[in-house]
Amino acid sequence: METLWFAVFAVLLAGYFALEGFDLGVGLLLPVLGRTQERRDRMVAAVAPFVLANEVWLVAVAGTLIGVYPALEGEILFSLYPLVVAMLVSWVLRDAGLWFRRRADGDGWRALWDLAIAGGSLGLAMGWGMALYALATGSGPIHPIGILVGAFVALAFAFHGWTFLGWRLKGFAGVTRSGRDLLLSGLVAAAPAIIVLVGAAGYLLEHSAPSATLTTLGLMVVPFAPVIVGAQVWVWRAFRTSDRIPSFF
Amino acid sequence: MDVVDLARLQFAVTGNLHFLFVVLTLGLAPLVAIVNTRWALTGNPLDAQMTRFWGQIYLINYAVGIVTGLVMEFQFGLTWSGLTHYAGDVFGAPLAMETLVAFFLESTFLGLWIFGWQRLPKWLHVACIWLVTATAYASAFYIMIGNSFLQNPVGVRDLGDRLELTDFGALMTNEALIFAFPHIIGAALTTGGMVMVGASAYQLLRRTPDQALFTRSMRLGVVVAAIGVLLTVGFGFAQFAGVHEGKFEGNAGAALGLGFMILIGELLMLVVPFVMLPLVAFLPRWRWIHPILMLMTPLPFLAVILGWMAREIGRQPWMIWGKLTVADAMSPGLTPGMVGGSFAAFAGVLGLLAVVDYALIARVVRRGPAAVTLGAAPALTR
Repeated sequence: METLWFAVFAVLLAGYFALEGFDLGVGLLLPVLGRTQERRDRMVAAVAPFVLANEVWLVAVAGTLIGVYPALEGEILFSLYPLVVAMLVSWVLRDAGLWFRRRADGDGWRALWDLAIAGGSLGLAMGWGMALYALATGSGPIHPIGILVGAFVALAFAFHGWTFLGWRLKGFAGVTRSGRDLLLSGLVAAAPAIIVLVGAAGYLLEHSAPSATLTTLGLMVVPFAPVIVGAQVWVWRAFRTSDRIPSFF
Repeated sequence: MDVVDLARLQFAVTGNLHFLFVVLTLGLAPLVAIVNTRWALTGNPLDAQMTRFWGQIYLINYAVGIVTGLVMEFQFGLTWSGLTHYAGDVFGAPLAMETLVAFFLESTFLGLWIFGWQRLPKWLHVACIWLVTATAYASAFYIMIGNSFLQNPVGVRDLGDRLELTDFGALMTNEALIFAFPHIIGAALTTGGMVMVGASAYQLLRRTPDQALFTRSMRLGVVVAAIGVLLTVGFGFAQFAGVHEGKFEGNAGAALGLGFMILIGELLMLVVPFVMLPLVAFLPRWRWIHPILMLMTPLPFLAVILGWMAREIGRQPWMIWGKLTVADAMSPGLTPGMVGGSFAAFAGVLGLLAVVDYALIARVVRRGPAAVTLGAAPALTR
């Protein structure tokens, strides 16, 4: 059971990086590739149908952390306290930007929330690099090398976001990319998480919740697993191609 | 104020903000699903407009529900790691179920519903909003399993330094849960219904061109709010059987919350099912009554906050009743500076977003269905 739950946890975290990676990547590319409001609108509309299905992977990561590694959950989050707070605020601002940008008229309004999306995406990407570095080395939450790793994660996400734009809005960002390219750039975005997961596997397995808890959880999740996977696949089938329907985000 | 009080205040402020939005999400979701279904059945443009209008309000409200929820989830590890250390093997399970199954599906289906307009086949699109509704209620159920466990720890073996889960079934049939969950659902339906009534009253009072839409909406809102009030009050009183002896005695905050909540509950009980419901056919035409209906809109919100005050302050000084105190549940090593910083950041950002969000909802209510962007048709030019 411990191994199975570790696999679930690993897939969720790596999956979060691969999926939300392109949302955040497109977000932090807004000031770079979206010089005009119309271009920013198209960039946001490209990721919009995927965001809700992607960011929820992190919600599930945190829930699995509490359920499967309750002994570690507090320790990990508490050791990174200021970083976790900054990452949460970044995430909140990014989401608020997406939900609010089209809710009132005026270029100023939309530009303001686009800034929130870009800043929030950058903060979250940098935060992930710093957090992974701190967890891997046991250093404090804020470390010069950690900041470098954060910059690397932000670059990896930007590359992934750029590839995503090349795949969904062919030619928009100067490139046209295939589904295979997107898969590869997803792997690049997920690499930092995968590396840390490989290193931490033994430690995590040792600190799993008792098997009674894991079995109970497993029995309750299994019936829903096909629906969960099916819903995610449905999102990709439904929104593969972009069109002229006005975006809600 | 010491560090425990600060951490409690942070949880209370973010939790209340979260619930103000969640309660309307839970209340409006089935209403939007009902009008969406009616639209799919009739194909009537009025039903389409109604789905889009209430859908837009539902979604704007949803935004702050999500972002406050993110902050809630992570606070357990940030400030209350003593809780997960002591009872994580138990308390973690319902939270894991909520996030991994219920909210995971809710968020995915919500995305499909929002962006599937004109893209998904009609009935699959309707199915999405019903799935969003069902998973939202499942989320509420799992969270209430967790909360009820704190109120009344069942299904566990006490190992001294930690609790071990022995019976998840006991958690699901906890007497602190079985009446509290329908009580909450009733409160949510009341809130959703009363918001629909209040917003419709505004539009009807101003004699905007959308009289038919808001006449229907007001009637739907009254019926649902009446059902909600009966559920809330019925299960509210039934709950007392499972409340620990002396919970509200010598606890001013809890007693105050309970007293005023019951006051609002009784008022709504008197007015909604016994005055508004019998008069439901005439209410949309009686303009003199519309300002009163508008003024009633905040009452359910106020009542749910007071209700949570009674339940949560009433649990003090316990985090887990009789087993773990709030002070012991706090993360060891937490300093006032840390909580002060995070509290300022969370309360500042979330508070501001909440205000903006309510202003945006008010804007939609004021401008009416014509200005709604959800499900707008593609532009023909360009």
